[in-house]
Formats: sequence, structure tokens, C-alpha cells
Amino acid sequence: MVMRNTTHRWGAVAQLLHWLIVALIIVQVTLAALAGDLPLGMKKLAMLARHKSVGITILGLALVRLGWRQLNPTPALPQTLKPYERTLARFTHAMLYVLLFAMPLSGWMMSSARGFPVSWFGFFQLPDLVPKSQPLYHALVTTHQTLAVVLGAVVTLHVAAALKHHYVLRDDVLQRMLPLSTTTQGTKR
Amino acid sequence: MRPTGHALLTAIVLATAAGPCLTAAGAASAPPVTHYVLDAPRSSLEFTFQQAGAQNKGKFTRFAVSFDFSPDNLAGSRLEVTVEIGSLDTGDQERDDTLHGADLFAVAKFPQAHFAASQFNKTASGYEAIGKLTIRGVTRDTRVPFTFRTADEHGVAVGYMSGKTTVRRLDFGVGQGEWRATDQVGNEVGVSFALRLTSAAR
Repeated sequence: MVMRNTTHRWGAVAQLLHWLIVALIIVQVTLAALAGDLPLGMKKLAMLARHKSVGITILGLALVRLGWRQLNPTPALPQTLKPYERTLARFTHAMLYVLLFAMPLSGWMMSSARGFPVSWFGFFQLPDLVPKSQPLYHALVTTHQTLAVVLGAVVTLHVAAALKHHYVLRDDVLQRMLPLSTTTQGTKR
Repeated sequence: MRPTGHALLTAIVLATAAGPCLTAAGAASAPPVTHYVLDAPRSSLEFTFQQAGAQNKGKFTRFAVSFDFSPDNLAGSRLEVTVEIGSLDTGDQERDDTLHGADLFAVAKFPQAHFAASQFNKTASGYEAIGKLTIRGVTRDTRVPFTFRTADEHGVAVGYMSGKTTVRRLDFGVGQGEWRATDQVGNEVGVSFALRLTSAAR
């Protein structure tokens, strides 16, 4: 397995970033759901502290990922795709990138507006992005929650498309993002 | 904020200037102290605390100060501060309500915190007040360093007192049950004050 991408296959770095972010998003959804029902107490503070720290981690990884994407070739979509499928694929991927930034940033702003500053696992404290404000906080809560729903929808579309590529179209679009799989074109380069 | 050297100099100059007349009028030994009360709108009492690894801020909006002080008569000086715990404001209603609760400040049972000092020392950078701090019904000996300078503002004698100290919340039982843990809410709470005091006749 090579570090860099080729025009046929995602390299190890891109795959690691993809799956690490997937795992962290699952952690985020779990922490948010568990903390949401709790009254303000130590457990809630601990969960939200982790939620914020993981969110900042995702923001950092998203930056690395975007940078790596610029420095590497992007594996091409199969020639067999119809134009609307191509557009839909580009739109979905663009949305995912936008949300990788918008989710943590809206969460970070939300914390600042509430006056609960963000720390990264207690190692360092991040600056407040916006001033403390109750109306702004409520607006950002709505934003963060709405973006989460949008992320859920886009991820569903993304997963459905990946499965369609694998099981219906029987191309290597899914496999080329899987670390251990060998693909017909991807491995022969 | 304000240069201590200047404050000190002002204090010395004022003390020297006031010296003769005070001695002439006063008792055999100690010069009289000035009685100050709080100019509340122009004073602040704030605190900082670690929450979830980040520094958070709050303030008390209602508190009273009675300060009898003279740099030349530290033995005769007295400080009394009463803080309405219910006036705490961390900028978040849910957090404030939680802080009022039985496991934290228990404000229904202990509505006020109190600091009373009758021992004062001169320090390199100002003074320190040594007294008893009572929070949540628990009293502890506490030292509070501060700087003090006086000014004549349109004929009114004004005192500026500021300083900061650290208290450990668990020393006063602020944190029962789950709030005893310090991983998400730190034990050390920074307290800082910047007071404008006006002299009042006794």
C-alpha cells in the first residue's frame, strides 16, 4: 500500500484520514446523544468536553485532509457514470467537506457564545470565536443541530452510493477506499 | 493596571501631608483610619475557574465592603466584605442555577459569603489582609494580597483597592456529591477584585 493517491486508488494517508474521521463522527454522534439527555452535571460536562475535543480533532484532520487532497491526484470517477451521477457525486463530496468544517466551527462558536470556552483534551484552550451572547447561542444551537441533520442525510447518500457502486454497478469505487482490499484496476498501477 | 510604585508614593505623600494635623487632633499614638464604603457601580468582584479544561469566568454583582484603613495605622484597620452569592453571574442561566444548588453554593441555606480581616501587613507590592473567609458556612483563615491607592477626585477622597487571590472551593464544601470531583471543574478558583471606595464620615 502506498502513501500517496494514484488516479485509480486512494493512498494510505487519504484512507486513514477518511476512516479516522468516520470513527470520530460516530463518537461525536454518540457523545452528543448521551449528553443531550443529562442534566448539567459532571457527567454531562465530561461528555461535552470530549465532544468538543473530538470536534476540534476532526476540524484539524479536515484541514490536513483538504491539504493532502490538493497535493495528491484524486482517483477518477468511473467512465460509465451518467452526467447527473457525476454531478451528484461531486455535490455529495463537496457537501461532506463543507460539513467537516461547518460542524466543528458551529460547535466551537456555540461554546464561545454560551461562555463555555473550548479546550482540546485539557492540553490547551482555544480562543473564543464569537462574543458571549444568549440569542447568538440559541441561533448557533439550531445551526449546529440542523447541520447535524444535513450531515446525516449527506452521509446516507454517500454510503448508499458507495454500496450501489459495489453491489449494483460492480465497480471499484468502494474498494479503492478500503485498506485491505485488492481491486481489479486499483492494485495494478 | 495602575503602577504600584505610584500608588505607594501617593499613599506616602498623603500620609506625610496628613500626618501633622492627624497627630494634633488624634489620640496619642495611632493616626485615625479612614472609613471607606463601596462605589458599587464602579467596582468589580470576579472569579475564574477551570471547566472542562478551559478557563471560565464569572462575577458577583451584589456585594458590600466596609474598609477602615490607613497605611500608617494598619493595626487599626479593618476590612469587611459581604457577598450575595445569589448575585453570581457566569453568563449562563443553567450554570448559575446549578451553582446555586444544594451541592454547590447552597444559596438558600448560605445566601452570603463573608470576609473579615483585622490584621494587615505591608508587602513588597502592597498589603495583605489576613482574616477569616466564610463560604457555605465554612470559615477558613485566608490571606488576601491587595494594592491600595488614594486619590482626590473633585474634593472627594477616593480609594482604589485591587488584588487577586485563589481559593480552593472544596475547602469550603463548594462541591458535594459528584461535584467533589475536580477533573471537569477545578478545585482552584481565582478571585479578583477592583474596587472604587469612597470615604464616608463615620
